[in-house]
Amino acid sequence: MQISKLDQMFDVLATRPKKRLVAAWGVDSHTILAAYMAVEKELIEATLVGDEKMILSVCKEHNLNCSRFNIVHCPGDTKSAALAVEMINQGKGDFLMKGLISTDRYMKAILNKECGLMDPGAILSHVTVTESKHYHKLLIVGDVAIIPLPDLNQKIAITNYLIKTANILGIKNPKVGLLSASEQTLPKITSSADAAIIAKMAQRGQIKGAIVEGPLGLDMILDRESALIKGVDSPVCGDADCILFPNIEAGNTFYKTIIKLAKSELGAIVMGARVPCVLTSRGDSECSKLYSIALAAMLA
Amino acid sequence: MITKLTELAEKAISSGKKTRIAVAVAEDNNTINAILRATNNGFVSPILIGNKDKISALLPSEINPDKLQIMNITDPAMAVKEAVRMVRDNEADVLMKGLVGTETFLKAVLDKEKGLLPPKAIMSYTCALEIPKYNKLLFVSDTAVLINPDLNQKIAMINYSVAMARKFGIEKPKVALISATEKVSPSMPETLDYSLLCKMAERGQIRNCLVDGPLDIFLACDPNSLAVKGIQSSLEGDSDILIFPNLDSANSFYKGLMLFGGGELAGLICGTTKPVIVMSRSESENSKYYCIALSCLMAEEK
Repeated sequence: MQISKLDQMFDVLATRPKKRLVAAWGVDSHTILAAYMAVEKELIEATLVGDEKMILSVCKEHNLNCSRFNIVHCPGDTKSAALAVEMINQGKGDFLMKGLISTDRYMKAILNKECGLMDPGAILSHVTVTESKHYHKLLIVGDVAIIPLPDLNQKIAITNYLIKTANILGIKNPKVGLLSASEQTLPKITSSADAAIIAKMAQRGQIKGAIVEGPLGLDMILDRESALIKGVDSPVCGDADCILFPNIEAGNTFYKTIIKLAKSELGAIVMGARVPCVLTSRGDSECSKLYSIALAAMLA
Repeated sequence: MITKLTELAEKAISSGKKTRIAVAVAEDNNTINAILRATNNGFVSPILIGNKDKISALLPSEINPDKLQIMNITDPAMAVKEAVRMVRDNEADVLMKGLVGTETFLKAVLDKEKGLLPPKAIMSYTCALEIPKYNKLLFVSDTAVLINPDLNQKIAMINYSVAMARKFGIEKPKVALISATEKVSPSMPETLDYSLLCKMAERGQIRNCLVDGPLDIFLACDPNSLAVKGIQSSLEGDSDILIFPNLDSANSFYKGLMLFGGGELAGLICGTTKPVIVMSRSESENSKYYCIALSCLMAEEK
């Protein structure tokens, strides 16, 4: 099934064996409510790693049936994160979620060389799936949160993550637009040069399973007319499934703009570790948190 | 369309024009023989500059030195300067190097005030190769001037070669960017440049041609190899122009073909305001003659 709306992930997950979420220091209401919602919708099973008293008190406060969770008592955020990661490595969970712990400490647990979740040489990156009323399909974009200024190698990895995410969502041969300020190939602008290189690599089959075009301006990625006016006739233009952003500022501004000004929803995950990792922000809507958990479960 | 170098010479002959070629230091047999052959075939009017006694002594007995325009300048550097001046001042259409060091010769050509290179222009070398095993001419750059061309220089190499191929009647030449493999790899920097060049051509920043690369020679010139490897290329293994990543590879490619493949060539310096002929003494008699014919074709007004 090709998913064109984020809530369609729920239908898909309902037909599959439940994946097991492990929340690192999952002791706050934001994390617990999001996990509870996902459990109640029968999307996943959830383990909360953290201070049992704190967890139980949040459950009581919100009238949640705490027996719906598997609670693993562990004092302290850093220890909980390490334990959550260990559980994943022991096969006791399928994907990780960040609780009340700081992003910094959470990432450290994932990146730990001896007992983390990274394979040697793997690149950790953030993938966001957005749904906007003003676009006819989902838009899968990266990296809006982790890699500030990806080099060519990292951009290739991010492109592959975008393609993999599209595939998981049932989008076959996704169309990937490589963003720059202009469609002209400008050697002095790194985003432009890198885009030309990545597009050629895709043409040569070094990046598989996608139609990749760039450099392109955002207008041309999202609107076929704009592209045709500028003389670019590519199947990607106006029908892109994925956008590769050249830096975190561009990507971050894009997703926040469409969230705030275009009433969009999103689900986001961290890819590149052995399992998908959920990294929601407390500022995310309830819906977004649920979508992020569902997306991780889809990819797990 | 010109598909053989003999046709190139025929075209020069049938044009009915006499191209004025200023030969700097015309004091060796190689140069004199090639220029006299073109003169005898009626498409060149030479101006021989150098030591008049030496030049006269080299002329075959049936040629009357008084019927040729010979300028007596005994100092080689001065002879080159005068030849360049004549071309600059439109007293000649083409400049040709004789028995003078390439360094001395190019110094005069590259002189900022009195030379033949427009400001910021890039000088490069393109030659047309005729190889028995290929069904048409193959234009190759840069076999002689640019040692390690950067992206901008590669763009110039493409543009010059395309302009030359179009003079041969190839409307939209197919340009292959040559490497050892068709894959793009940061460890082979030319493949990164090639990716940009392809996209530039696609976006209309490089015009009048089809560009693909990286490609190896097989994939550039042999459709079977493309099929075997399952690679899509807009050139379809039918390249007109090969752009090499550096002088070593281009130079070895053409010399290998000349020596072992029975090839002939016609080559020219590009980027100057008027054609400049620089030939290696080891080139065959025919190739030298073709170089002169090529310069006549390129000197033609559009």
